[in-house]
Amino acid sequence: MKATTPIPVSVLTGFLGSGKTTMLAHLLRQPEFSRTAVIINEFGEIGLDHELIETSEDNVVALTTGCLCCKVRTDLTQTLQDLLHRRDQGACTAFDRVVIETSGLADPAPVLHALMTDTDLAGRVVLGGVVTTVDAVLGEATLEREAISRKQVAVADRIVLSKLDLIDGIACSLLGRLAALNPGAATLRAVHGRIESENLFDAPLRGADDGALEISSWLAPAREHTHDHYDAEIKTYSIARTEPIRAVALTLFLEALAEHCGADLLRLKGIVHIAESPQRPAVIHGVQHVFHPPAWLERWPSADRTSRMVFITRRIPRRWVEVLLDAIAAEVADVSAASSVHRD
Amino acid sequence: MSGVPIALVGALMTESLAAWHVAGNVEETCDRVVVICSTKQIGIEPAAADSMFRWLVTIDGRTRSAISLLAVLRQVREALDPGYASNPVRVAVAPLVL
Repeated sequence: MKATTPIPVSVLTGFLGSGKTTMLAHLLRQPEFSRTAVIINEFGEIGLDHELIETSEDNVVALTTGCLCCKVRTDLTQTLQDLLHRRDQGACTAFDRVVIETSGLADPAPVLHALMTDTDLAGRVVLGGVVTTVDAVLGEATLEREAISRKQVAVADRIVLSKLDLIDGIACSLLGRLAALNPGAATLRAVHGRIESENLFDAPLRGADDGALEISSWLAPAREHTHDHYDAEIKTYSIARTEPIRAVALTLFLEALAEHCGADLLRLKGIVHIAESPQRPAVIHGVQHVFHPPAWLERWPSADRTSRMVFITRRIPRRWVEVLLDAIAAEVADVSAASSVHRD
Repeated sequence: MSGVPIALVGALMTESLAAWHVAGNVEETCDRVVVICSTKQIGIEPAAADSMFRWLVTIDGRTRSAISLLAVLRQVREALDPGYASNPVRVAVAPLVL
């Protein structure tokens, strides 16, 4: 197989009727989206959404066999492989980006897992941005009522408010609720499905030629954001450590989080000062119990060498996370000190 | 013998009960932590200095060794939460950065 640049695969999610297909149809008419393949997951025997997308038909695949998050291992990964194969063979319009539109009822996490872990797709695709649409008219009631809609917002890199043409202004309470669920995600606005499309689906972390990454916005917010008055379950918070963290301590910490939190760890991202790598910080990212291998920056983005980790969680107390990291770090330091004594 | 402060182990157990939504108390002595729940009493103490293990966990009178605090945490959780199923960490094969 010839070596190729990995293709970013972005996920467009959002609750039923929140404007995903309308926005996608508009985007695909833009020149910058001309080299985009689309996978549309429709829940039901007769899919309609893909009929609403006007683009080169051979680059639009409708998955109508069931909810994507339930059948993701087989349907999605197979469909992606088929698309890539057709691309390799020149059997479809060339594309350099894939957008997956989930069904409105889908949990986006299994989709992200599939893109992160499928060995057959490894090297061919890279996780792009996660975009979540929210109906500006009904969104607040939907968030109140539907747990899956809150999760769709919580894992987003970018949130798009739709149907702004139907109301005079956005309710402050809706904006507050979105900020509470996911304060790190940029909130964009669509009118009649139209939106400034530049960078909408880009991966939130993109490597530059000099190895630099735009970390600060990716890691926002740095300060704790509690919002018990909005959601008792989903919480976003950051923890910071000025002391470097040993690599094995970080590994054990992530292992413990995965083991004990599982699906309740909606997303974790961070920049970590690894004791063994003082000049090159590690960038970490996880969705539930699945973690990317750390990406190593060429250098620190600023003089501040504080490790910062942002947690978007469901029912995971911040205090537990902090104590867990402290206890693991203490034990690793203790073992290391004992080993040094034995060596001496 | 572990050099990890007992108070830190006690704090970890206290916060773990809260995180797992398990009602109970944690008591500390100078060399031992006791987790007391309605149906279980669990003792946690450092293993002997010459042991290959670091911790001893006593549940219902039976003492088992543990090689790390993570192993302690796992034993305590399994004892207190019968429906608990751990999630092994999975490492993505796709790169984080394009």
